[in-house]
Amino acid sequence: MKYSLLLVVLLSASSLIAQVSQAPQTIGSFDKIDSLENQVSDIDSQMGTLEGKVSSVDDKINTVDRKVSSIEQQISGVDTKMSSVENKLSSMNSNMTVMKNMNDIVAPEKEAVLSKTTNLRINVIGQGVAPMNTASPAQAYALAKRAATADAYRLIAEKVMGVRIEGQDTIKNMMVKRSTVHTSVKAMVRNADIIETTFKEGLCEVEMEIILLHAQF
Amino acid sequence: MRSRNGNYSFTRTVLIFLLSSLALDAKEYLISYRYVVKDATLYNESLSVSSSMTKCVGKPTKSLNLISYGDDDLKQSILKNPELFVDYVHKLGLQIESKDITKNFVNSSTTILTLKTTCFKVDFNENLVSIAPLN
Repeated sequence: MKYSLLLVVLLSASSLIAQVSQAPQTIGSFDKIDSLENQVSDIDSQMGTLEGKVSSVDDKINTVDRKVSSIEQQISGVDTKMSSVENKLSSMNSNMTVMKNMNDIVAPEKEAVLSKTTNLRINVIGQGVAPMNTASPAQAYALAKRAATADAYRLIAEKVMGVRIEGQDTIKNMMVKRSTVHTSVKAMVRNADIIETTFKEGLCEVEMEIILLHAQF
Repeated sequence: MRSRNGNYSFTRTVLIFLLSSLALDAKEYLISYRYVVKDATLYNESLSVSSSMTKCVGKPTKSLNLISYGDDDLKQSILKNPELFVDYVHKLGLQIESKDITKNFVNSSTTILTLKTTCFKVDFNENLVSIAPLN
């Protein structure tokens, strides 16, 4: 029994000695690992600094991008302003041409106004047609001329006195149901002269003239 | 106005007689005239002539001579000379009343020209009738 215990003790001692003899090798590997870890940590720190630099560069790129986008927006705003100014200029040019045309049309004929020194001459052309059943062409002509004369008198009255107008529209369910316009004129006309009478294809036209004097009003 | 033979009173008497006889033929008539034009066509025409029951006041102006067709009928004389009379009436001046109605974009018009009842001095001679409004 004693021998067996001694044997066990010897074996455990030999295993310890063997372990002790192997320890320097593991210590060397630990050193390598430590150095590798140090290198890795150095690399990590370098990576960290690089990442920091990359992030700062990214930030700078982002700021540059923002500035570029803001400049682009400003440029687009300037472009829209330029286009609106160009549109306004073109519309002003068109208005100017229209006004020039209006002046060309209106300028030659200034509106005549009755004054103490100038008389006012009014010319109208009245139209009339003959009735369907007339006894002779002469009767047709006479009746058409009468109608045309009345029309010319009406036109003179409208020019001198003005027209009274009344309009009425009836709208139901967003649709025009009835549209009515009444116009009327009442006047007394004298000393109107017939300048010319023409009768062509059943239509009689009477050109009439009246000269208004300031003393008459 | 003394005559050659010096018979002044006789000449004057004759002249007064002649003038008074002419003046006796002068009568006063009330005339009104109206015509209606509807849609550019003569629609209706009316002429009213009647002798005046009362003495008219005013002086004759702008006379018109019409051919007389006897019987001292003024209306007949006017109706036989319609163009002359209508042109004359236009010169005197007509009351114009015009109404247009445009219903659903379809237009119809009515124009009425009226010579309001006016007193005329009318002289009947042999072949002529002279009319002049009293203003």
